[in-house]
Amino acid sequence: MIKLIGGLLIVTASGLAGWKKAGLYSRRPRELRQLITALQMLETEITYVATPLPEALARTAEQMGSPAAALFGRIAAELRSGSGKPARDTWSESLQWYYPRSSLGESDLSIVRGLGNSIGISDRDDQGKHIRLAAEQLKAALAAAEESAQKNVKMWNYVGLLGGLVIVLALY
Amino acid sequence: MTGLTAAKTAIPAEGAWQQIVSFLSPGLKEIISAVPQRYLSELEEIRLRRDRPLMLGVGSADFFVRRDGSVNHIPAGAFVIEASDLEKVIHNISGYSIYALEEELRNGYLTLPGGHRVGLTGKAVLDNGRVKTIKHISGLNIRVCREVKGIAGGVLNKLIDHKTGSVYHTVIFSPPRCGKTTLLRDLVRQISDGVPGFNFPGRTVGVVDERSEIAGCHRGVPQMDVGVRTDVLDGCPKAQGMMILLRSMSPDVIVTDEIGKMEDIKALEEVFNAGVRVIVTIHGSSLRELAARPALKYLLQLNIIERFVQLGRSRGVGTVEKIYTGSDLLQLGVKQ
Repeated sequence: MIKLIGGLLIVTASGLAGWKKAGLYSRRPRELRQLITALQMLETEITYVATPLPEALARTAEQMGSPAAALFGRIAAELRSGSGKPARDTWSESLQWYYPRSSLGESDLSIVRGLGNSIGISDRDDQGKHIRLAAEQLKAALAAAEESAQKNVKMWNYVGLLGGLVIVLALY
Repeated sequence: MTGLTAAKTAIPAEGAWQQIVSFLSPGLKEIISAVPQRYLSELEEIRLRRDRPLMLGVGSADFFVRRDGSVNHIPAGAFVIEASDLEKVIHNISGYSIYALEEELRNGYLTLPGGHRVGLTGKAVLDNGRVKTIKHISGLNIRVCREVKGIAGGVLNKLIDHKTGSVYHTVIFSPPRCGKTTLLRDLVRQISDGVPGFNFPGRTVGVVDERSEIAGCHRGVPQMDVGVRTDVLDGCPKAQGMMILLRSMSPDVIVTDEIGKMEDIKALEEVFNAGVRVIVTIHGSSLRELAARPALKYLLQLNIIERFVQLGRSRGVGTVEKIYTGSDLLQLGVKQ
């Protein structure tokens, strides 16, 4: 009986681990899509309405779901706090803060970080170009992320469950 | 003659310099805050030029500021403005959004909350021969704005037809820096709010503020007290603006600054025809000089302006030297 319970625990734990790993792969495309939408909103706010950056970011945050809302909301709040820090520092610090809270890879975030170097400091046409470039790069990353999700989500779900079973059988 | 002693009635500037300092970089904030109070209370401008010493305009003199806040007439040893200082100040005054300031950069200045003005220089970017924007901003001149309330009281009394309670068509003229705009602003406020002292109930005033100098608008909201019945059209070319106000806001009085072009005069004519009163300012040191300019000569010949207020500096900035009436003009031989 105890063996059976132990075996069940092992299978559950291993299954959960696999499921979690798979979740990482399936969440990444979702978050990338969200970031792309957010950048498109930001572009509209900046190039058509010329909304000041903190306000444009706050509005973007309002319309986004979690977790991207937290990122843009945080940057907006930091810029409004009047610390006198350049926007690129605030931008990159907020991304640092966001990294452990998201499923995005380092390469995805570095695309957004690159945008921080030019955000707010040039005319509208130029801002539009920079934001569109970042969005295009994110789209390329999204295609890769979707492909790897397709491969990995199923695999990790199986690996978790079956791995657990293998361990249980080996121990029996 | 009505003496206007602007300097004596000026509102203390403590609030003004503190408002401005909040837009500076932390380093500059510290330095300026350490400057002796007697300089700060008469502070007129802060000049930030990249790789050159920090300079304050106080009264009619300028001073260089050292790192410890002490001031001196000699530039040697003064604090030198670095690129990072300028960058932070530009971030603060633009709200991290240079792109939102296209029109302002084209004009070379912007208005801060509180009505303070910032002039900018750098590299002009051209588009079809016209300035599109300024990049690599390397020079800032932050000009402290002070409202001088109450200075127009004596003048206003003479600009109102006490029988009908209406305002005379008025031209205020003087050489630059004699307080035209300051007087105009206070006139607007008093005409708009009304003056119980001489039973003047207050009129709807429309202001076309092309260079944001009368009302000091920040994002369209007047930062100066321009009165309760005042509508301000900010940043709008004068001739177009007068037409817009005339059609849309049904003003009793239309006010604008520094007219001179023929199109402005044509627009004024429309305003006269609509029965709306007009108060404008013009650069010029004498009526004869005004009459020598074709557009203004045309205005004088219309025979509509009833009061000419001449400002000067004979007893300090903003002294009202003389108020001419329409009939004075005939005697002076200015009008044919």
